[in-house]
Amino acid sequence: MRYRNKPELQDKLAAEYVLGTLRGRARLRFQAWMREDAALRRAVWQWESRLAPMAAGVAEVRPPRRVWRAVESRIAGGDVARAKPGFWESVAFWRGWGLIATGCAAALIGALALQKPQIVEVPKIERVEVPSTKTQQSYVAILHATQGGGDKPVFIAYVPRDSDELWVRRVALDPEPAGRGYELWGLPAKAGEPPKSLGMLPKDERGTIKLAAAADQSLRDFPALAISIEPEGGSKTGLPTGPVIAKGDTFQVF
Amino acid sequence: MDPAQNKRLAELLEACARQDRAAFAQLYQATAAKLFGVAVRILRRDDWAEEVLQDCFVSIWSHAGSYSPGLSAPMTWMTSIVRNRCLDWLRRPKVEVVLQREDEDAEDPIDAVPSDDPGPLDQLARSADAKALADCLGRLEVKQRQAIMLAFYDGLSHSELASHMRQPLGTVKTWVRRGLERLKACLGSN
Repeated sequence: MRYRNKPELQDKLAAEYVLGTLRGRARLRFQAWMREDAALRRAVWQWESRLAPMAAGVAEVRPPRRVWRAVESRIAGGDVARAKPGFWESVAFWRGWGLIATGCAAALIGALALQKPQIVEVPKIERVEVPSTKTQQSYVAILHATQGGGDKPVFIAYVPRDSDELWVRRVALDPEPAGRGYELWGLPAKAGEPPKSLGMLPKDERGTIKLAAAADQSLRDFPALAISIEPEGGSKTGLPTGPVIAKGDTFQVF
Repeated sequence: MDPAQNKRLAELLEACARQDRAAFAQLYQATAAKLFGVAVRILRRDDWAEEVLQDCFVSIWSHAGSYSPGLSAPMTWMTSIVRNRCLDWLRRPKVEVVLQREDEDAEDPIDAVPSDDPGPLDQLARSADAKALADCLGRLEVKQRQAIMLAFYDGLSHSELASHMRQPLGTVKTWVRRGLERLKACLGSN
């Protein structure tokens, strides 16, 4: 990490992030980095505390009634994505004072709670070859239904750094048809190469899938993931046999 | 925002974390106009600002339990959520196109403020908890202050600042960086 243990540089970047002049890819990289670096979150929080009073200088504008009505109906309809705590906290996404006090919370709220997948499209950063069975990077994949359109994700997978487990969460996946199971596949970059099974999805809304050896490799090599309907226990052929119900790209987060 | 108001907002957030809808309605009543003002100022389009505000309040409701009163004032927390969401919004490719078109019309965010209207700095100076910041902003060089205020209030990027202030990009970046450094030193000594 170029900026780790360089507090002055961290502080400068945090200031520009809070001010809003850190833009584009730099902003995305910074948000991803903030997720994993407590010192950086603290620097951001300090700058937010310094600059926040500037908002007092903004004239109030009464929003139209329809905004409140929309908020109310979304809350009543449960369109809140993360009504129950659990999954993401355990990935340390929401834990820790810094995260809460900083804009990182806002960034992640935008990215995950409101299910706007484009926010998590972190640009790919340079990859480091290190032989290990655990991930050297963290990854996130957001899968959308292949049928019926809609831009809402139906399934999210996340692998923290230094892990050999895939954290999975069903956002809006229909229950499996009777006697069938959902199998998760890694889709290779090269055309013609067969998908590789990453395992069966747990039946619960949230769960984990243990990755085979060389977890990093198994995700790095698959720019996209897909879910297909298979016999319970998994495809007998080692390849998807049933219809693919969801698909989405994998992003290296950090 | 005086301490009593801060305390009240923190209590409302705490009640929201317990799924208290009435408290949430009060929180909205108390803060929506300020937060909408922030969003409108940055996005310069009411429809976008409405969408951002709606998303932010849904987030505030579902993450009220994440708010820690000891760490930041309630308004700081909520303003950060709104500002960050606005800045993320401005990052979308289609937004940049629209902004460029507006720039061609030479719309000047400073000119847009009526002359008899107190500027943000004056309003800022009236708010007690923001007085220190207003003092420190007032001590910056004019260009540094302008660049920082345009970035904060109007959400201008470095390149937008450069074209707005008709200066090379590097010059504008230096103003921002030095201005922030001086601001930090000034606030630290207060």
